Amino acid sequence: MTLQSPSQPLAENPDAIVDALLDRELLLVTGKGGVGKSTVAAILARAAAAKGKKVLLVEFESVSRVAPLFGTHAIGAEPRQVAPHIWAQSLTAMDSLRYFAIRQLKVPALVHLALRNKAVEGFFRASPAVRPALFLYQLWTTVEEHGPKGDHHWNLVICDLPTSGFVAGMYAIPNMLSGVFRTGPIATYAEGMRTLLRDRARTGLTLVTLPEDMPVVETLELRALLLERHGVEAAAVVLNAVMPRSHDADVLDALDRAADRDPGLLDAWQTTAERIANRRAKALSAARRLRDTLPPNTLITLPWRFERELNLQAIDDLALAMRKGVA
Amino acid sequence: MKTPHPVSHLPIADVLRRAKLIVACGSGGVGKTTTSAALALQAAMAGRRVLVLTIDPAQRLLQALGLKSTDDGAPPHMPNTPLEVLPRLASQLPQPLPPGASLHAMMLDASVAAEQMVERLLGDAGNRQRVVQNRVYRAFLPTLAASPEYFALELIYTLREKGQFDLMVLDTPPMHNAIDLLHASNTLSSFINDRVLKWFSKIPLPGEKRGFSFLGAGNSMAMSVLGRLFGQDALPDIAQFFGAFQDVLPKLRDRTQATDRMLRAPDTRFLIVTAPGETCLREARHLHAELTEQAMPFAGFVVNRVLVAAQPPPDMAQVPAVVAALQAAGLSPDRAADAANEVLESAQDLQRLADADAHHVLALQALAGSDRVCAVLVQRDGDIHTIAELASLGAEIAGAGHLDAKRPDMVG
Repeated sequence: MTLQSPSQPLAENPDAIVDALLDRELLLVTGKGGVGKSTVAAILARAAAAKGKKVLLVEFESVSRVAPLFGTHAIGAEPRQVAPHIWAQSLTAMDSLRYFAIRQLKVPALVHLALRNKAVEGFFRASPAVRPALFLYQLWTTVEEHGPKGDHHWNLVICDLPTSGFVAGMYAIPNMLSGVFRTGPIATYAEGMRTLLRDRARTGLTLVTLPEDMPVVETLELRALLLERHGVEAAAVVLNAVMPRSHDADVLDALDRAADRDPGLLDAWQTTAERIANRRAKALSAARRLRDTLPPNTLITLPWRFERELNLQAIDDLALAMRKGVA
Repeated sequence: MKTPHPVSHLPIADVLRRAKLIVACGSGGVGKTTTSAALALQAAMAGRRVLVLTIDPAQRLLQALGLKSTDDGAPPHMPNTPLEVLPRLASQLPQPLPPGASLHAMMLDASVAAEQMVERLLGDAGNRQRVVQNRVYRAFLPTLAASPEYFALELIYTLREKGQFDLMVLDTPPMHNAIDLLHASNTLSSFINDRVLKWFSKIPLPGEKRGFSFLGAGNSMAMSVLGRLFGQDALPDIAQFFGAFQDVLPKLRDRTQATDRMLRAPDTRFLIVTAPGETCLREARHLHAELTEQAMPFAGFVVNRVLVAAQPPPDMAQVPAVVAALQAAGLSPDRAADAANEVLESAQDLQRLADADAHHVLALQALAGSDRVCAVLVQRDGDIHTIAELASLGAEIAGAGHLDAKRPDMVG
């Protein structure tokens, strides 16, 4: 596109940041609602698969957001292959409870009996802190046992997490569990989960945001909170939907003057150019703000796309664009 | 002064005039919190005493509502406490508030709300002390923030009993799943239900020297299961935690049934806030299906952030005239030609988005009926910064949007 400026990317070393992300065992992708978490999770999965890695994409939702990107809908508790080298899994709290119970009790008949009990089911379903704890347990055992340190079943587990509030809660789980269970199996698990979450070499916290005031502020707040409370620094911050083009100032000025003379013809042209230029200006200011606050080699940019629906081709285009960085 | 209750047949205006509880639900990032605040303000300007309860408000919105300390020295905000927004900021509104009208805003802190609920429930001071010191309780408390919906309902119900407000607007946490909210009251009572309490009541309390051998066969199996799940040494604290709730169980159950009735009351309305895009549309559909299935009182959809292309759409045929106009405005011939082509390309790209958005509005109308798409709002540049902007948004939702919804050809 002739409009794209040939200058440097807005953020440095995108290729190296992406490679460092993909070399981890677990990527936790999160951000405010609507910023494109699932899209970023899918992009990272495709980028990892392109390097020959076997990837498991995990969601904690009853309605999968990742599945439609791979042209399917039927994704459940069992990992299912959705593309070469990529498997996907969508977990509910009851799935994770069953997983936990079977591993603890080791007698499937007992698990069936226990989970058939309405009181028990109600207890686990209702207990507010139990849900993220069960998810985290399943995630942790999956990485430990089937990741690069386990049986190598997965090279990389990418987790598309619900909103920022859930993430802050999830990082608090190990401390909560250690508080209640000082000894015994759960105390051991809590220690294991804490270690995995804090290990920067193994786990990459990936925050996704948009070039708007609110998402940028909240991303920086979440990053500061996790750093302060849990000693976890974001491995990457993905600035999504960066307008890759603009209209130059002399053009905007000329359109302005021309529209004054002939609004019937030129108002729409001027509005169009202004919208694009505004989006570009917002993206530049968001990138600057993130660069100024984040540690070096953390920011990744993804270009805006003029479409509401992404298919696999678009995901792959974005995977390439992510490595190049938006200029 | 204008009439506080303009007679209107528009569904949203009607809802704002009559409903006692409006529940705004939708997936994340669709402008739910801003929509809730705008609706609450609109209802207050129509003469009602209104509270908006938000769970995860944006900083800008807090500023607009005067809830965030800025340079003008606004008071620091207390969670779970209604704070009067008007009349402090009323001077910024386009028209004075009708007499008796008010707007309060409240931010939910689920951990604090849980603490308050426990204190209210456990009337006995000794019992309360035991719970508050219990390590299960203390460990659970900070993580309650992960499920704020229980406590939002609890707070709303408490305030409703006091009768201070005519209308409360609940901005729910982002949901892909309405079930979480609809079942919130049921789940709270099943979390602490008879049978669970009975199970845990068999465990010896801390300090009690009751061996498991005293228990019957069924119980020892239950103990063995619990022990294997949690480790034996945690059981006494868990038992004490649940034991403390034994006495208040009937009270808790009454209360959760009451919050459930509140959600289904004839003066409650659910709004689904959504935005264009395949993902948002899919999730709005899902929420709608759940609300319908649960026979919840559904008011309609508010569709935010719809892109409307500039009109009349820039067209290839206009290029020579535009190039001439740009030259007349000072650009060189080459520069003018490039600029015209570049802007045309941008216009065509934006038009594609606008077409997709119009299509999504139509899809919602086909799903729920055109009168159920209550408002279609054009994408704004930037966040809401002031209460005046919030007022204009509220007026737009309550009024003008309806016309656009009926004439989707105008959208895009």
